[in-house]
Amino acid sequence: MTILRGLMRATALVAVTAALAGPALAKDVTISVWAGGTGPNDVYRVDAIDIAADILEREAAIRGEELNITVEKTTYPGWPDFKQALTLSAEAGNPPNIVVSGHEDIAPWAQSGLIVPVEDYVDLDAWPLSAIYPNLMEIASYSGSVYGIPQDAESRPFFFWRPSMLAIGYTDADLDALPQKIQDGGYTLANVIEDAKKMQDAGVVQPGYGFYPRPSNGPDYWQFYRSFGGTLEENGKLVFDKAAMTKFYQFFVDAVAAGVTKKNHIGMDDATWWADIGAGKAGIWHGGTWHYARYVNQEGMQDFFGNVQFSLIPAGDAEGKANTLTHPLVYLLTANKDAELVQIAADLITIASEPQINVLHAIKSAHLGISEEETTLALYSDNRWASEASQRLLPYATAMPNNANFGVYWDAMWAGLQASWTGTKTVDQAIADVETTLKSGLGDAIIIR
Amino acid sequence: MNSSRSLGLMLLTPAIVLVVLFFLVPVALTAVFSFTNMSTATGITGGAYQIGPSSLQRLGDSYGFPELAERLSQPSYVIDERGLTALESAGVDASAITEMRTHLGEVFPTRREAERMIKGLDARPSTREVKQISEQFNRSLLDTRYESEGDLLAGLDALGVEVTPAERDAVAASSYSGWTWTTDNFRRMVSTPDTLRTLINTVFYVAIVLVLFNTGYAMFLAITTYYMPETTGGIFRSIWLLPRITPPVIYVLMWKWLAWDTGFISMFLGQFGVAPKNWMLDSSTNAWVFVILINGFVGASMGMLVFSSALRAIPKSQFYASEVDGASRWQQIRYIILPQMRWPILFVTCYQTLSLLASFDLILLSTEGGPGGATEVWSLMTYHTALNNYAGNLEYGYGTALSLVLVVIGVTLSLIYLRVFNYNALVAKPLIEQ
Repeated sequence: MTILRGLMRATALVAVTAALAGPALAKDVTISVWAGGTGPNDVYRVDAIDIAADILEREAAIRGEELNITVEKTTYPGWPDFKQALTLSAEAGNPPNIVVSGHEDIAPWAQSGLIVPVEDYVDLDAWPLSAIYPNLMEIASYSGSVYGIPQDAESRPFFFWRPSMLAIGYTDADLDALPQKIQDGGYTLANVIEDAKKMQDAGVVQPGYGFYPRPSNGPDYWQFYRSFGGTLEENGKLVFDKAAMTKFYQFFVDAVAAGVTKKNHIGMDDATWWADIGAGKAGIWHGGTWHYARYVNQEGMQDFFGNVQFSLIPAGDAEGKANTLTHPLVYLLTANKDAELVQIAADLITIASEPQINVLHAIKSAHLGISEEETTLALYSDNRWASEASQRLLPYATAMPNNANFGVYWDAMWAGLQASWTGTKTVDQAIADVETTLKSGLGDAIIIR
Repeated sequence: MNSSRSLGLMLLTPAIVLVVLFFLVPVALTAVFSFTNMSTATGITGGAYQIGPSSLQRLGDSYGFPELAERLSQPSYVIDERGLTALESAGVDASAITEMRTHLGEVFPTRREAERMIKGLDARPSTREVKQISEQFNRSLLDTRYESEGDLLAGLDALGVEVTPAERDAVAASSYSGWTWTTDNFRRMVSTPDTLRTLINTVFYVAIVLVLFNTGYAMFLAITTYYMPETTGGIFRSIWLLPRITPPVIYVLMWKWLAWDTGFISMFLGQFGVAPKNWMLDSSTNAWVFVILINGFVGASMGMLVFSSALRAIPKSQFYASEVDGASRWQQIRYIILPQMRWPILFVTCYQTLSLLASFDLILLSTEGGPGGATEVWSLMTYHTALNNYAGNLEYGYGTALSLVLVVIGVTLSLIYLRVFNYNALVAKPLIEQ
């Protein structure tokens, strides 16, 4: 009986010890990650966190800790729904731990305290973060702190349909030399309209398909403002350059007047736009580096390099220069009372930035890589698109400003562009209205000149 | 009498609670928010205080303290006794503290440089420990987020910066990141050029859809199907209900299939040599025609149902009598039907006006206010402002100010309708019961 009692006591002691020791060693956490603008080619934006979680768990195991991370992934194909959902969930106190969004969101979200500086949790001097292109880190910073880890280095090229260009007198050699000519300012946006018109007159593209721009709002349109010498921000203040904006609007009005772009192009069905380009119906157009993946994977474009030439966005005139916009998506950390959770999220996005993991996204989605090192990996260097696009575009890439007032400016620019493009207002009227809108909406937070 | 009155109140309570919760409270909050500059950037729960490049620029430019701004802009990490003592109380490894002491008096202009030194200690602190240690030597206010003005000013005092009361106020005001009370939204609304056009668009849209479809065409459908054989009338009414019962996204998609470059209209006209185009967005007129038809076909069904049931309530004997007197169909409509439809017409007009004022879903899905803002109506502008921004900064304050205008217009119109249709007479007790 005594033995039995002793055994029972011992068993109970073991059970209690195990019950106490078990939970103390094992740590179960759930990390949620939301990504905007994420289509079927972009899944590594969130899948990279999964891979990183596996590595972090293994690292913990080597230290003798049991860490179990459950990654909850949510992707949004577009932007408006994503930004709406994210901001409202944050207001409700329930944001995801990691957000993958455009760098332009950093300013308003940092001001409101929705996100915290990633710099508070990671060592920027340690690899892999130390290897990321410094200009991308700059774009991911706001108010003197690094708030995000760049997740890609997407740039926005101009595209030319080679067969249509050949049909109006260009030779293969001319087309091969075109990117350099554009970079040197020898081929401008005025030439774009001329060539688009020639293509239509020659009957190689239908009317309205000569110049086939993005059919919806997007960062791309700021490139045209820059092409005419426009400045977006100076010493932390937004700048509205009326002359550059006028010439930018006028370019689209001229394109419509020449019949190379449709008056009602904005608002057309996205799927139709993609399909038209994939089928070679458009003569000249513009997009992002990631369009390559869509053309090849979803639109069935055969022999991309045989059919398409790409370059910087041509200069508008002598005042401006050829340019491209990089619109890096960044990993952001949301504020959370549980500092441990934020630290784990920070560790995950650091691991996800390792070249071997980031390259999966860079190549699958045709967004470009975030470090020089990444371009040396076989998967990257063997990929013609990634290599050529990195070389041709990235050195000339600029970015939109991280400024909390930028949204008001963007809305006004877009409203003015649409109004002049569709003929609802004259260019002068549209510019005057944008100016009044900016004065009443932003006051002295914007320099108007 | 008293007990029946309390019973009435009790029965009304659920309705009162719902009205308060879903009408009065939102309207009151809309009114309150409309006098703020709330946005995603300011947050809705209150702000914090953070000194950064933009706040320092405000401190220099708007508040006139450039020298103070310059002084505060100097970030510095100083290895001093105060920091070392703080490390001891924080329980940092003693060997690390001893090693830090060898750096006593060193000043680092940025946090990153300070952390590089800390990282190089023989104690090999982890990244988290490096951050903990560097924070103890932060002798600058830059980029620290203070939850209250008191904390910020305490930080200012701890830094040893001597400031006048005016300077203290300016530092607090310029570094505040939250929302503030303002009447700027209404000033902005009046001075923004597109506001007037959007208002005119809204009046045009509501008036045309209301008159042509929601009441006019609905009445036409109700009367024509009334005079049809029962089954045929029922079939027609069911067909006209289809737009309403079809999910809006699919309903609008069907219109787009009709109107797109590759849609039915373009394909049909292509047979006659007309070039394909996006008929819906081709011009402002086209866009309005589609917006009115898309909304009208949905709106007509409700009026049709209300008017049809009201028609059936008119005693048949009146029609028989009029036929005996030789009245034509038109005379029956003019002298029997319409005079007895005042109440349902009031209801449909009032309800549909408010509904059209507030609805924007079908416009958002079809033209999104285009081309060039031609079909942007007030509620859509409110949505665009308060809930849609490409740069992630939703403008709640300005958006609610815009929607407050809708509330005022809606309430005013309702009162006018009640007056025009003589509501008091409509709800008066029948003379026979007096």
